[in-house]
Amino acid sequence: MSDNQQFFRDTAERILADRLEQKHIVAAESRVLPGELFATLAENGIFLMLVPEEQGGIGASVAEALAILKPAGSAAAPGPLLETMLGNGLLAQAGVAPVEGTIALAFVGADELAGAVTLHDVGWGGLADHVLVVADDAGRARLTLSAGADWLATPGEGAAGEPSDRLSAPSLPGASAVLDAAGSYADALRRAALLRAGQQLGAIEWSFTRSIDYTGERSQFGKPIAKFQVIQQMLAELAGHVLAASTLLDAAAVGLSETLVAAAISRVGDAADSAIAICHQVHGAIGYSKEYALNYRTRRLMAWRADFGGVEYWRGALARGFITATREQFWPAVSDAGLQGAA
Amino acid sequence: MSAANLRLDLPDMPEAAAQLRLDVRAFIDEERKAGRLPPPERVGLGFSQEMTKRIAARGWIGLTWPKKYGGQERSALERYVVTEELLAAAVPVGAHWVADRQSGPVLLKFGTEEQRQEYLPRIVAGECGFCIGMSEPESGSDLASLKSRAQKVDGGWKINGRKIWTTNAHRVHYMIALVRTSVVEGARHAGISQLIIDLQAPGVTISPIISMAGEHDFNEVLLEDVFVPDKALIGQEGNGWNQVSAELAYERSGPERWLSSFRLIAELIDVLGPDARPSSQEELGRLLSHLLALRQLSMSVASMIQQGQTPNLEAAIVKDLGTKFEQEAVRVVRNIVSAENLTAHGRADRLKALLIHAQQYSPAFTIRGGTNEILRGIIAKGIGLR
Ligand SMILES: Cc1cc2nc3c(=O)[nH]c(=O)nc-3n(C[C@H](O)[C@H](O)[C@H](O)COP(=O)(O)OP(=O)(O)OC[C@H]3O[C@@H](n4cnc5c(N)ncnc54)[C@H](O)[C@@H]3O)c2cc1C
Repeated sequence: MSDNQQFFRDTAERILADRLEQKHIVAAESRVLPGELFATLAENGIFLMLVPEEQGGIGASVAEALAILKPAGSAAAPGPLLETMLGNGLLAQAGVAPVEGTIALAFVGADELAGAVTLHDVGWGGLADHVLVVADDAGRARLTLSAGADWLATPGEGAAGEPSDRLSAPSLPGASAVLDAAGSYADALRRAALLRAGQQLGAIEWSFTRSIDYTGERSQFGKPIAKFQVIQQMLAELAGHVLAASTLLDAAAVGLSETLVAAAISRVGDAADSAIAICHQVHGAIGYSKEYALNYRTRRLMAWRADFGGVEYWRGALARGFITATREQFWPAVSDAGLQGAA
Repeated sequence: MSAANLRLDLPDMPEAAAQLRLDVRAFIDEERKAGRLPPPERVGLGFSQEMTKRIAARGWIGLTWPKKYGGQERSALERYVVTEELLAAAVPVGAHWVADRQSGPVLLKFGTEEQRQEYLPRIVAGECGFCIGMSEPESGSDLASLKSRAQKVDGGWKINGRKIWTTNAHRVHYMIALVRTSVVEGARHAGISQLIIDLQAPGVTISPIISMAGEHDFNEVLLEDVFVPDKALIGQEGNGWNQVSAELAYERSGPERWLSSFRLIAELIDVLGPDARPSSQEELGRLLSHLLALRQLSMSVASMIQQGQTPNLEAAIVKDLGTKFEQEAVRVVRNIVSAENLTAHGRADRLKALLIHAQQYSPAFTIRGGTNEILRGIIAKGIGLR
């Protein structure tokens, strides 16, 4: 980890420790944003991470943004943290100044925006200060920034209990700008999904560590359950998922290659599935109780895997990059995928 | 233990590795053009002494070893590049595989100068191969319970016992056998030693064992009053267990642990086109994400070894993940072949043959070189559960 990444990680961990309590995580399920946490994140410039320095931001890389989002996932931090961070970054790309307050993000096809508009499953959509619609306009990202108040929100919630709302308006409100670069829509979606994978990894690592500790604390048949070989084997299996997912995610964050980002999202998705199954299994009934902290991570894993394309979309995208290769072309394609150290 | 400790640094490949990779690819191209490397119809390491000689002629065996033994003193990462390129292209490397990967390094680390002079230059030249004499009929995972014995006699050792599952014993020249040389009460890992046995020596009887894939790759090796001279002892008498443990680290994290099924995936991709149904593409994508993760892990571990670290936990994880992936790959390819009806009516005969063989071969992936249950025991220890 670079010094910068370490610094951002330490900063995030400090803020989360100071400003996020279990009661805030619980309150998010009653549609209450952890206000103090978000105010402190804003004061520390976290929402300007992806805004270039020339535009008044921090100019951080995606790898550095991940250094913030992993501990946020580990802490089960609720709220549109990723969305606000990336939203400001996208606005900066369009030459628009960053906004005050929170941003909800909606990725849609351009054809969904004609006439009366309905956006589905928008995280914190009804509560965010701003809504940034990112539309796929023949491959380019068309950004439309509106106020949250411009929309009629029908509350809903996802697996984590966080708001996931339907927003509607008689016609698309707000002001638009198009990101000129070809492929800018896919690029934005890719970054969103990669950052979400970072949050997932944080939640996976927290669940893994807690499970190791728990199996030392809990005794049955006169010994800590960690001493049962079956428990050891399950957690050893999960250790493999954690190492593989974190290593590939780190590699993907360096070059942001299309192939590696899709692969990392897919790999983290498998690690998440394994973490949910294994961590709950080794916890027994206590892990299934709402009061115990594990479910606040595992339910986020359930919710997050579907965001920004969803794990299956990225698997298909990854396969499409290879599917036309001949048997002889396949290995060079794997070898050139942008892995770190692969000279 | 916290998950934060379970993290690998991303490696830097040395500059020279890029050129080396191109050189290996050029070699593979030549071999293909000359008709010496037809697309494979089987998984597993092929065995060809001729191919080993041609690879040796390029200097790619013993690449990391000292020049005075014929090596090139290049880095572990460069060796990594050579091995993954050869394996991915299904080049038959079986004749030098064990010698290059572990026997040579063991001699470099623990052997006498005389042993190094005697064996290493011949390995480098592609002239002599080794096999691994560890498992016995009653000692598999519980290797320390082994019963083969070497008794001290005038000028050497007299060995009696039985080794089993010894891959390539019928094709190579030497075996490094793990045997008991003394009994230390209450210390089962003590009193074990490594001896080099010439497989032509009197008293060695090699009998084939046919695998369920119908192949003669491994053997039973009966040792009856086999005499080996004093100079056949590797390292210290009684230190064999520690020496073998070091050896296993070389064995675990290499690309051979996740490339066995590669040619099957390559064959599938050759046949599959963009019209494949979405569910097939998703399954394939998932598989590819595991492949890419394993490659990154494997390179990262090679880089740690290069830096003089001993990443035993990480290496065990790579082997556990890699071998499970190899089996999963067979299952996924089978599912896609079936869902897309790829091999019916004589289409894609090579894919069909390869898939049949891979299915028959795949149970071995998670057994050879230490079972995945044993590996997970090592991982559990590494994460503080044992
Ligand atoms: C293709 C192939 C090639 C091989 N080549 C060689 C070779 O060249 N040289 C050589 O020396 N050996 C070789 N082997 C042997 C290999 O190393 C052994 O098969 C392996 O170590 C397992 O031993 P075993 O087969 O006796 O199984 P066992 O040890 O009898 O294991 C049977 C089952 O019990 C499980 N088990 C055993 N102990 C435990 C435990 N403590 N906790 C939980 N589960 C346990 C195992 O995981 C396995 O599932 C080869 C094997 C194969 C399949």
